[in-house]
Amino acid sequence: MSDTFDALSMLSAVAVLTGLGLGFGALLGVVSERFKREDNPLVERIDALLPQTQCGQCGYPGCRPYAEAINQGDALNKCPPGGEATIHALADLLGREPEPLDGEAQSEAKVAFIREDECIGCTKCIQACPVDAIIGAAKLMHTVIEDECTGCDLCLEPCPVDCIDMLPRTAPLHQWQPVFAHSAGLIASDRQPVLGGAHVERL
Amino acid sequence: MSSAFDFPGGIYPPERKQRSNQAALVSAPLPMRVTLPLQQHSGQASTPCVAVGEQVYVGSIIARREGMISSNLHASISGVIAAVSASHIIIEGDGQDTWQRLPSLDWPHSAPAELLERLNESGIVGLGGAGFPTSVKARVVEQHVIHTLVINAAECEPYITADDLTLRHHPTEVLEGAQILAKLCGAQQILIGIEDNKPEAIKALNKALPNSQPVPVALKVVATRYPSGGERQLIKRLLNLNVPSGGLPADVGVLCHNPGTLLAALQAVRDGQPLVSRVVTLTGEALTQPGNRWVRLGTSVKELLTQAGLDQTSVAQVIQGGPMMGTPLLTLDTPVTKLTNCLIAATIAELPPAPAESPCIRCGECESVCPVALLPQQLHWYARAKDDAKMERYHLFDCIECGACSYVCPSHIPLVEDYREAKGRIRLQRIESVKAEHAKHRFEFRQARLAREEAEKQARREARQAQNRRPHSHASTENSEKVDLRGLRIAHAAAKASVKKAEKTLARVAQEDPKQPLDDLEMQLATAQENLRATELQLAQAREQQPSKESS
Repeated sequence: MSDTFDALSMLSAVAVLTGLGLGFGALLGVVSERFKREDNPLVERIDALLPQTQCGQCGYPGCRPYAEAINQGDALNKCPPGGEATIHALADLLGREPEPLDGEAQSEAKVAFIREDECIGCTKCIQACPVDAIIGAAKLMHTVIEDECTGCDLCLEPCPVDCIDMLPRTAPLHQWQPVFAHSAGLIASDRQPVLGGAHVERL
Repeated sequence: MSSAFDFPGGIYPPERKQRSNQAALVSAPLPMRVTLPLQQHSGQASTPCVAVGEQVYVGSIIARREGMISSNLHASISGVIAAVSASHIIIEGDGQDTWQRLPSLDWPHSAPAELLERLNESGIVGLGGAGFPTSVKARVVEQHVIHTLVINAAECEPYITADDLTLRHHPTEVLEGAQILAKLCGAQQILIGIEDNKPEAIKALNKALPNSQPVPVALKVVATRYPSGGERQLIKRLLNLNVPSGGLPADVGVLCHNPGTLLAALQAVRDGQPLVSRVVTLTGEALTQPGNRWVRLGTSVKELLTQAGLDQTSVAQVIQGGPMMGTPLLTLDTPVTKLTNCLIAATIAELPPAPAESPCIRCGECESVCPVALLPQQLHWYARAKDDAKMERYHLFDCIECGACSYVCPSHIPLVEDYREAKGRIRLQRIESVKAEHAKHRFEFRQARLAREEAEKQARREARQAQNRRPHSHASTENSEKVDLRGLRIAHAAAKASVKKAEKTLARVAQEDPKQPLDDLEMQLATAQENLRATELQLAQAREQQPSKESS
């Protein structure tokens, strides 16, 4: 008696759970088809962390293709303009281990500069620029719009007369950062003597 | 007297105001050479409009405002322009002090637009320390309803007495200036907030109050406590209104002005005199003649302090601003600007260097004095760990950098320095990310443009081929590549939708905030349009191929 009861209750439990599973499975399937997203939100988030220089140093044509590649499992460490900070941000987002940067990190922000009297007006750099930051026309001098240049180096290669330099980007005055002399780390014994006048809030 | 409303925290540092408030307000000797930096205000630096060798008079405009938040700059002495650089203009004086004034305005009968234009033209900025252009501030009424104009005369920082002396000597003028700005912003009342350690200024104001017309003026004396001169703190104390985090006083219907600014505004309107001089407190143990002076902008700090009897042997450091929020000057070869309210030539005994920093012991003293009710010690840990996301979550940007936490810290940790550094770092990151976003939009636009050009080329090629092919009919049926008409149609619909979406976003943002730069959104719209054009061409092509295929 008790055996049949147990078998019955077990069967009913299995049936109910299977039914629930099938029901929800079907629901999820319908919903995922109905509200399908064309773009991948994770790719968007990866793309947002990349520096958008569109330099192609990662081997992909632009930041977004690299973001898609990362989503497919490509390495995180192929972005020299982003440097360590970008690798760590990506590792945080994706829950992967950060790897050391593949290639040389860029020490400072750069901007392309065309030595204008040497330019022959071949338009090759204009075609290479990923952000349309070079203006000029055939057989006329070209110049770089400094504010739009991302410092990606892509215009250097095609120039037949090597008249493009990468110069350090000068920050405008209002972006100037004060330099603070850190007097101590968190460990008291590491402390160095405080410079006179380094801390004047005190009366 | 003072009301029961109050802000949390606060400290009572030694005031040391007696040193500079004993002498009367006098003019400093006319400098023979002035250096005028192009950025003496918040916002963008102004652009020089004079050339080397040009003759200028006091009040001649030498640099014009650039962009929305910026201010004009005027010659503060008469003479010849000696140098113009990217950061400053130098004038060599002729000792004549010849003025070039604008015509006087009868403000009660002038149109608000005219008064605003005058304030803008005269380069008036907030003289309390931030240097925000007054004409821009007055135009806040376009978005907010202002009920109260507060005159911030609290001057809570130790040492500084510039506002105190301004009020003692020019109470009627300050009130008249307040009436002008009240008229511009439509305020119903004017409130003066002043600390009780300025009895003479209070007496002078009480005498001038009854004659101030037409907006009623009230004087509120508050107990001395640092930092009650903070805009938000004073508004809390006077009106019991809380300015929201990240908001402006205008969000609660209040505008704050410094007495010096009001006086400058009146001089600009009534006398047509642009902002060429300001009151500077010269004080500190290392000066033999401390006091307040009317100083022409651009005067060398060294010259000014020497005239006040600077003792070269005993001076340890010179601080610009107050001892709590000011900055030590690395060199005295720097000019007085619109923002220089005080110069302290301190001896080593007066402001000794801080003892060596020790680790935080979590005593919580900083929390109890923070006037914004932040958690300074938590911020300290996050600042040292460079955890910027956490710092923003703990409302780093609500910190007014008053220095109360550093003042009470028993471990002598320079907390405010950490916060300033973190703020700078976060601001820079924000600028970088805006730039990256911008570059991304430009890149996308370029991709879309290239795709469209490719599609157009393809369309032309097809057309040419079709023409060539017509004589020998049906030769092209081997064109067997499957045309994905459905896919193209979907892409076309999506492109159309994204154009509509971009248009809608642009219109909404433009309506919400007309002053915001819209380049990026316009770029997105253009990108969407290029995409649409490309898909349209592809679709048209595919449709052309389709019937020929069906017929075969």
